[in-house]
Amino acid sequence: MIEEVKETKLDPVTFEVLKNGFINLVDQMSEQILRTCYSFVIYNRDFSCALCDANGDTVMQGTQDIAVHVGTLHLTAKAVIEDFKDDIHEGDVFLVNDPYHGGTHFNDVRVVRPVFYDGHLIAFMQANGHWSDIGGSVPGSFDVGAKDIFGEGMRIPPVRMWSRGEYLEDVANLLVSNMRVPKERLGDLRSQSEATKVAENELLRLVEKYGIDTVLTAFKESQNYVERLTRARLKELPNGTWETTDYIDMDPELGDGLIPIHVKMTIDDDHIYYDLNGTHPTISCFLNSTLGASLSGLYAGTKTFFPDTPLNSGFYRVITADLPEDSVVHAKYPAPVAGFCSGSYEKIMNACFELWSYVMPERALACSFNLEYLLIGGWDKRTKEENFFMWYDWMAGGHGGRSDRDGANTMSPVFGMGLSVQPCEGQERLTPVITTNHEIITDSGGPGKFRGGCGVQKGGTLTEVADTVMSVCCDRSRSVTWGIKGGLPSIPHGNWLNPDTENEQFLGSFFSNVKVKSGDSFTRPSAGGGGLGDPLERDPQRVLEDVIDEYVSIERARKDYGVVIIEIDKEIDLFRIDFEATKNERDYIRKHRKAWLEEDPIKVEKMLKNGEIDKLDVIRRYGVIMDYKTNRVLLKSTAQFRESMKKRSLIFWD
Amino acid sequence: MKNVRLAIDVGGTFTDVLLFDEVSGETLVTKTPSTPSQPEQGIMNGITKANIHSENIKVFSHGTTVGTNALIERKLPKTALITTKGFRDIPEIRRGTKQDLWDAYNDVTDPYIKRRDRFEVSERIDYAGRVLKEVNESEVKELARVLKKRKVEAIAIGFMNAYVNGKNEQKVKKILQQELPDVYICASSEILPEIFEHERLSTTIINAVLGPTVGNYISNLESRMKEIGYDKDILVLHSGGGVMTSKTVPHYASRLASSGIAAGAIASKYIAELCGFKNAIGLDMGGTSTDISLMYEGELRVTKDWYVEYGYPIGFPSIEVLTIGAGGGSISWIDEGGSLRNGPHSAGAEPGPACYDAGGTKPTNTDANLILGRLDSTLLDGQMILKKEKALQALQPICEQFGYTEYEAAHAILEVAHSNMCDALRLISVRRGYDPRDFVLVAFGGAGALHSAYLAKEMDIPHVIIPTHPGVGGALGCLLVDFRHDITKTYVTKIRDISVDDIEKEFLTMEKEAMKLLEKEGIEHENMHLIRHIEMRYAGQWRSLDITIGKPIFLDEAVNHFHKEHERAYAFSDPNVEVEIYGLSIEAVGVVRKPELKKEKPRGAIEDALKGYRNVFFKETGGFTETPIYRRTLIPVGVQIKGPAMIEQLDSTVVIPPEFIAKVDEYKNIIISIKK
Repeated sequence: MIEEVKETKLDPVTFEVLKNGFINLVDQMSEQILRTCYSFVIYNRDFSCALCDANGDTVMQGTQDIAVHVGTLHLTAKAVIEDFKDDIHEGDVFLVNDPYHGGTHFNDVRVVRPVFYDGHLIAFMQANGHWSDIGGSVPGSFDVGAKDIFGEGMRIPPVRMWSRGEYLEDVANLLVSNMRVPKERLGDLRSQSEATKVAENELLRLVEKYGIDTVLTAFKESQNYVERLTRARLKELPNGTWETTDYIDMDPELGDGLIPIHVKMTIDDDHIYYDLNGTHPTISCFLNSTLGASLSGLYAGTKTFFPDTPLNSGFYRVITADLPEDSVVHAKYPAPVAGFCSGSYEKIMNACFELWSYVMPERALACSFNLEYLLIGGWDKRTKEENFFMWYDWMAGGHGGRSDRDGANTMSPVFGMGLSVQPCEGQERLTPVITTNHEIITDSGGPGKFRGGCGVQKGGTLTEVADTVMSVCCDRSRSVTWGIKGGLPSIPHGNWLNPDTENEQFLGSFFSNVKVKSGDSFTRPSAGGGGLGDPLERDPQRVLEDVIDEYVSIERARKDYGVVIIEIDKEIDLFRIDFEATKNERDYIRKHRKAWLEEDPIKVEKMLKNGEIDKLDVIRRYGVIMDYKTNRVLLKSTAQFRESMKKRSLIFWD
Repeated sequence: MKNVRLAIDVGGTFTDVLLFDEVSGETLVTKTPSTPSQPEQGIMNGITKANIHSENIKVFSHGTTVGTNALIERKLPKTALITTKGFRDIPEIRRGTKQDLWDAYNDVTDPYIKRRDRFEVSERIDYAGRVLKEVNESEVKELARVLKKRKVEAIAIGFMNAYVNGKNEQKVKKILQQELPDVYICASSEILPEIFEHERLSTTIINAVLGPTVGNYISNLESRMKEIGYDKDILVLHSGGGVMTSKTVPHYASRLASSGIAAGAIASKYIAELCGFKNAIGLDMGGTSTDISLMYEGELRVTKDWYVEYGYPIGFPSIEVLTIGAGGGSISWIDEGGSLRNGPHSAGAEPGPACYDAGGTKPTNTDANLILGRLDSTLLDGQMILKKEKALQALQPICEQFGYTEYEAAHAILEVAHSNMCDALRLISVRRGYDPRDFVLVAFGGAGALHSAYLAKEMDIPHVIIPTHPGVGGALGCLLVDFRHDITKTYVTKIRDISVDDIEKEFLTMEKEAMKLLEKEGIEHENMHLIRHIEMRYAGQWRSLDITIGKPIFLDEAVNHFHKEHERAYAFSDPNVEVEIYGLSIEAVGVVRKPELKKEKPRGAIEDALKGYRNVFFKETGGFTETPIYRRTLIPVGVQIKGPAMIEQLDSTVVIPPEFIAKVDEYKNIIISIKK
């Protein structure tokens, strides 16, 4: 390692050139991975790349990186340094996926290549991609039944994969032999490794051109620059403390009761402190996250309010966080964490969105739908040649309402805005699953002065399969996607097997290894975003436009917005707003809505059973949480949900 | 001029006119302001200004932004989408992604067809092309009644899996054509029979919304041209880098989006080849943006991954053009972290750079060039005067922040601008596996020649070509193209399972279709060139590479070619891994005779071209240096000019920095090279 960098204060031009050069070389890695990878999860952009300095600190992340890896890549490089110390050589390449040592969950496999110049270690190139399978008992490696990480697949602490340029085939073989479709995994390994090589060449070109001292100084200055930029912006914001609680649905072993994640944020001049004390202890299923992954949630949640700031360790220096040990945000080894992205991670991000919405009201953002991964794995019987198939799918959904406009419809989850949903035609070719519909759900956007974006319904039927199971990794069937500043919740997540048949069954929002057979059908809604602002203040004209586009039904226009719309001729989009009736309806809702949130939940359950109210009334009017497997209210969860609904919605109503 | 090929490229600001006399080899260039509300008017103005009689026009070729503008401004006819039951939100769900990952307030634009105008019918075809559900005729007739009542002007039909079997789409189309005879209707299986519902439907939708728009435009243009006595074909340039006749335009309307941008790339290719280069990077730098293209081994890079607005892909092959927000008007600024930045914000034409003295107060690249003496204070033959004191004033904040003199600040501004442009050049070259040292840089646009030598130096590109008329690259491109159509098809099979006969059969069917299209354009058989392409990938990979394949088919050869191309693009290949075919396509070219530019003989002396001397700032020579200024029109061909020197022409200034040497070739192109 070069101990001392000659501190040449760089001239502004050289600095700008090198800073952009770093961004460029990291993006070059990404582009190459995208074009050569084998895992379709990576192909659909669940990956990230970084240039780290010789200490492992991040000099630059890519511009198209997925949020969920932000602020974790330097921990990976540091894990390699910690384990291998002086035993790192030119031509070595390392592999890491250990959530408790530099990783997030097993599927995220990081390839780390040290870069040498003149015999000295100067940097690490890193390419991190989500491998479609990493072993374990469930295809795709999301096992809700796993009680510890040993059930979640292949754990890879920092391991040497190339030694001084020599490929260690036996080591690679040991790893991929424990995974499904090993050939593809080797393809991903090659793709990621070659990408880091391309970036290494590019960095060495910059070193040749500008000199080693200049480049190493630019590493430091890139980090200092981002820190300076962020601190300058923070100084313009008010000091203060804001706090909120978001929830994971449950700990399956504990039953009824939302799992709180408490986030307190303090802005002190030019620094941000997050305190997550008060968060629930580690739970028995995979929705926990490790320390590094939770820090990433805080960084990514914050970064959303500083969209044009480049990402590197300079940004992370501005944030200090206290994450209590043995909690769902700092899981205790060896607790399971494979589903952290659907669990703690997105709760932390959305809590950050809410807190920052008070600091920067002009960039406010209500809660967005939850990441949902569904996996069907089994044997494809469509042809004589038997193939093991994996129908691995994730949903688009609605984003939260905003300060001056509705939330975005049908977007990728906030855990990674670049993650693209898959074409059904591609899926139908590869797997014996036929999609029956993929469409917007009317009334799924949380009502508000600015409503949440709409969620999506996707249904499918299994055609010719054998020995097939289904698993889902999601959340928010109970901790329903919420509104802020007076806005209302959207709809619960959760999957149904054989909907609208006598075998209809609610499977919940996370489960694994449910047996399915040819002819079975299933459907899954993704939530819309939460609303922002009092829905009774929404311009009736906007409600009318929503009715014409069937984003909102005439019935919910009346119930959620108090806007009474009369259909004249739907065939030519002809409707009329009854302003008189609207005034009356809005007065009626105003008068009763606070009391609705106090109504006895048991009575609400009965009203639903009797058909006096519907499922959306249950959540939006009464704030009652139900178990749709039994159609019974969940008293503890309801009490918790109502408490937060009062803080987020009721206190803003007149 | 008696035997004129007329090329007109309508851009956002100017309509460029280029006349080429086939017999004398003379060229004439003129520009007139574009008239966006009635684009054909600008064209007529251009023809009037060029003072050309219609009977002397032999060929009229045309590039236009009509399609692009209609999309961006959403000036579209009332269009309906008809799709499979359960799928009407495909164009809204898209792939769920956005371009700006972090800015929650920077949205993808709305779909071209609102949800209220998206309709469904009960039908279904599976992945193998089997009809699971037949079209119900009375359901479609009922839908037709509603569409008629809604006064729909265009319809896009896009069903699930129609790329394998278009039967249901065709059935619906036929019924609708009977019921709604005046409505423009297109179906995805005939527009782009390729897998992936969003990409195919998006292309079909864009085709439908543009069909009536560009159809009307072309027929207006035709009748205006007839009025002045021109009744031959109008050849319209499309994004794939070829032309089609006006009667084909409505059928492939979506190919007209970004027709103008493709024209610049074609001009770069032509000029580079004229000068004897097979590999070229084209750089077309205007006031607010720069378009970059790449030609390798005589072929322009083509992409199927492009769009006018993010999220709404157009699946037809298109010349790959990278557009970045860097131009003469790009603003230099200091961010909150104290870093000197350049662009992407631009002062545009109004208020323009500070030196225009039209209200702009922020320093731009143009201001920096003026301060350094690289631009004269008098432009466009005296039609425009630049005010240096305004430029100096605008630079003050940068001087203060970094303790620079005004000249150092101006120089720093340009260096940052160059670095940004080089990043873009790297994106299209190094990132795609091309070594810039094997390329020539062709600089078009008003600002291209000011910067190109420095860009070449930074990128290790050995030579730069400044064409005779750098300001009308688009029009030149229109003049030079062949007819071109592309027939594509998804065809997924592993190499070991492939029957060469089956592929041959597929290709023959596609070639038949291609020939029919070219015949319709009036192309003789001997001028038809059908080039076969195969998309290949390693089995299990997700992206494929396009490989051309000869006739008869030798698969081994194609597979070897694929390994080599993978090695070139990604620095690795793996001959032991199984290869599969992903798609087939036919590039159908109808060759037309190209104009032959006139070679000139040396005439006059270089001294006659010398306009005078000016102090120009070059860091390489330690600051301001007395530099000769030449008039381009008077420079004899064959001469060499050593840097530092400046060459001025009506709409462009060429900077030859101290370490460079320039030659003027017999076509009057300036070729700048670094001194050895």
